[in-house]
Order: sequence, then structure tokens, then C-alpha cells
Amino acid sequence: MLFAAINLLAAEGGESAAVNPVFPDSAGELVWGAIFFFLTWILLRYVCLPPLLKAREDRELQVQSDYEAAAAAEAAAEQVRRDYETTISEARLQAARMVEEVRVTVDAERGRQVLAVEQEIAEQRQAAMAELDSARTAALGQIVGDVADLAAAAASKVVQAPVDAAAVRPAVDDVVQRTGGSK
Amino acid sequence: MTVALSTQPLSILAAGGEGGGLKFPPVENLVKWPAWFLEGTVFEFNKIAFINFVAFIVPVVLFFIVSRKPAAVPRGLQNLMESAIDFIDVQVIKPAIGPDGKRYLPMLLAMFFYIWIGNLFEIIPTAHMPANARIANPLILAIVALVMFIGVGVKHHKLGYFKEVLFPPGVPKALYILVTPIELLSTFIIRPFSLAVRLFANMLAGHILLVTFSVLCITLWGFQILNIVNLVAFPMLVAFTGFEFMVAFLQAFIFSLLTAVYIGGALHPQH
Amino acid sequence: MSALSNAVAQVVTQAGETAGLDGDALKSANGASSAGFAYGLAAIGPGIGIGYLVGQAVQAIARQPESAGQVQTTMFLGIAFTEALALIGFVVFILLKFV
Repeated sequence: MLFAAINLLAAEGGESAAVNPVFPDSAGELVWGAIFFFLTWILLRYVCLPPLLKAREDRELQVQSDYEAAAAAEAAAEQVRRDYETTISEARLQAARMVEEVRVTVDAERGRQVLAVEQEIAEQRQAAMAELDSARTAALGQIVGDVADLAAAAASKVVQAPVDAAAVRPAVDDVVQRTGGSK
Repeated sequence: MTVALSTQPLSILAAGGEGGGLKFPPVENLVKWPAWFLEGTVFEFNKIAFINFVAFIVPVVLFFIVSRKPAAVPRGLQNLMESAIDFIDVQVIKPAIGPDGKRYLPMLLAMFFYIWIGNLFEIIPTAHMPANARIANPLILAIVALVMFIGVGVKHHKLGYFKEVLFPPGVPKALYILVTPIELLSTFIIRPFSLAVRLFANMLAGHILLVTFSVLCITLWGFQILNIVNLVAFPMLVAFTGFEFMVAFLQAFIFSLLTAVYIGGALHPQH
Repeated sequence: MSALSNAVAQVVTQAGETAGLDGDALKSANGASSAGFAYGLAAIGPGIGIGYLVGQAVQAIARQPESAGQVQTTMFLGIAFTEALALIGFVVFILLKFV
């Protein structure tokens, strides 16, 4: 009942309306709508948009070329860096080589000097040894003579007869040889 | 009131022809506007035509100002208009047509702005009438879309376009009895019809919704005790105004997107 | 459903007869009642459809946020097609109610 009442209210409201809200009853709206839409389209298409679109395209190209330039600059910078690195490594290599050379030279020089010094020392020692040997031989010879004289005198005293020193000499030599010769 | 109402709450809302009550305006008051001049001719100029004029002049003037001296680095207004171009380019053309759709940019841009500004008048105070709540504009735009996508198809595929549409490849021959009438109907009749009706009905529904809530708020203002309902009704009116702002944009977007989709389908029928 | 609308039409006709309405008023009353049915029924399917569609789109975006733009565009397209049914219902409502 309530439902029907609402419907009746609505029916009364729409009673005067033979009008259709969906379809236009005058051609004016259609005509003006079409005119204004096509004007919008045509003006945008041929007047307003071309400069703007061209500016956008130019900007895009500009950005593209700038980008490429940046890429090229980056590549150049990379090249420079690589060159620098090769130079550095070359220099480093050369320095190492020079150091090595110097080291070798210095080593050789040192070896030579050490050798010379050692040789000198050896010579000096040899000389000293020879001197020592000769001195000892001299001293030994003197001692042998003295001992032979002493032994001859002692022997003559013991045997109450003169003993020839020369006869004693081999024995004395033998003794000295056995005692003093061993140093 | 010719009917004596038996129910009490309704009697408040329908408190009689003279003494106030909820009086919903007849529908022709919502959507029909008297002629301003040239009445009776085909060039009858009324409020809708004026809104159409604004929807035409605003984008044209804005784009014209910008395009006189386009700067390499966009600022201010140029930035705004270029973001509109970018929006159509990225959101509409790219997904719907593809990279070869650049040449339809002016049409889609004109369509978008024409619909959007016409729709915005729904919530602009003192205007409060979307131009697209009359069937005229959506009808014209839908016919433009129809002619456009058929034209693109015929231009790129000659008469093979109709063969592609009406006799889609990969369907068993016997099924063509069923498929061909459906395709004919859906492509050449339902498409423009649904385009027009979608835009028109959305805007008309939004318009009627706002009118309903406005009438409700105004009527309730007159009843002392029922005024408290305004605490709910008025915020709802504000919220629906915001919602309609979104719908105005969304419908313009969807209309241009669907047009682009149809053009893209005519350009590459195999997809 | 036709049984229901028949019943409604009967109620309307009876109420109209008691109120002494003429044929035109009865016709528009019947139109109004069927308009309500038309829109109410037309809103069911698209309501479910749009809800399902947007839900799936939200899920897709949540799973792959990087494809949000494409999903959104497709979602709007789907909504536009689904919504068309409800809007045709609305137009039928207007036609039944006011014509």
C-alpha cells in the first residue's frame, strides 16, 4: 500500500511531463555541440598543438643529443683515465726496473768490494803467516844449534871426552822435531 | 493531493501542494533550458550550448597561449598543459594504441578536454549543469569515435577490415552464423551506443543525485524537528559533490581511453 | 519476476481505481513502479561484477606493485564495460518513469 502510494506520488509529479529527458527536443544542442567540438579538434590539431608538439620533439632530440654527448664525454673521460693508468703503470714498471738495475749494480759492486777486501785480508794474513813461519823457523834453527851445543857439552862432561857437536846434531834435531815441531 | 495518505511519515514529506513539503522538481526543470537567442531555429542557443562554448574556448585559449612561445624548459602554464599532453600520451595512447598512436593525440586531447570541462559544470556553483547530461554531446562524440575507428580500419586494411571484424579468423565456419551477427551488432551498434549512454547516464545520474540531496537539505531546513537530519544530509551532499568531481574526470578519461582502444583495435585487428 | 511485477501492477491499478485515476495516470504509475524494478535489478549484476573486478585488481597491484599502471588502466576499462549495464538500466528507469 505504501509502495503504491509512493508510485502515485511519483505519477502525479510526472503527470505534466510528456517530455523526454533523454532525447533532445531541439536540434540546437546537437548543432552547437558538434560545432564547438569540431572547432576544438581543428584548432588544437592545426593551430595550438603543432608548435607545442614540435617544441616537445625538439626537447626530446636535445635531451637525446645531450645524453649522447654526455655518453661520449664519459667515454672520453674513461679513455683518459685508462691512458693515465697505463702511464702510471709504465712509470711504475720503469721505476721498478731501475731500482732492480741499481740493486744489481750495487750488489755486484758490494760483491766486488767484499771480494777485494777479503783478498786483501787473505794476503795480509798469508804474509803474516809467512813472516811468522820464517820467524819460527829461524828461532827453531837457533834453538836447535844452541841445544846441540848444550847437548854436546853435557855429553862431553858425562863421558869425560870431547863430543863432536855435529855428531849430536841428528839426535837433537830428532828431539826438537818431536817436541818443538808440534808447536 | 488527490490521494489521502494512510501512512504518517509520508504525510510530512508530501504535506500538500501549497504548504511546503518535499517537492521534487519535475525532470524537465533539471535538464531542459530555455533558449537564450535564436529560438526555434536549429541554432537555438541555450545554457548547454554556452557550456559547450566554454568547454571549447578554455582548452583552445590555454593551448594557444602556451604554444605561441613554447620554452625548452617548461614552466608554469606550459608545464600544466604539457602534463595534460603527457597524461593522454602515457595513460591513454600508449596502453591502448601503442607507439604508432601519436597522430591521434589532438583528437583524444580535444575529446578529453571537451568532455571534462563540460562535466565540471556539474559542480561549478551557479552553473550546476553538466553539458553531457544531455544526450546531444555524448551522441556526437560517440559518432565521431565510430567514424574514426571505422575510418582507421578501412584506411589501414581496406575492406579487409570488415572481413576481420565480421568473420574473425580462427572460428569454425559453421559458427559464423552465430558470430557474425553478434560482431556486427557489438562493434558497429553497441560500441557507440554504450559510449554515449555511459557518459550521458553517468552525468545525468550524478546531476539527479546532487539535485535530490540539495532538495532534501532545503526541504528539511523548513521542518524544525527534522532539521537534525541535515546533520547527515548536508555532509552527504558535500561528499557527493567531491565524488562527482572525481566522476567528471573519470568519465572524460574513460571516454577517451575507450575511443583509443577502439582505434587501436581497428589498427591492429589481430590483438 | 513477472509474477511480482504483475502483482505490483494489480496493486497499483486497484489503488488508482479507488483514487479515481484515469488511464494515463495509471499508466505512468505502472511505469514508475516497473522503473524502480528495472533499475534495482539492473544494479545487482554490475554491483557484483565491479566489486569482483576491483578486488582482483587490488590483489594484482598488491602482488606486483610495479605493474600498477597497466592493471589500473585495464581495471578502468573493465569497470566501464561492466558499468554500462547498470547505466542502461538507469536509462530504462528514466524512460519508464518519465515517458
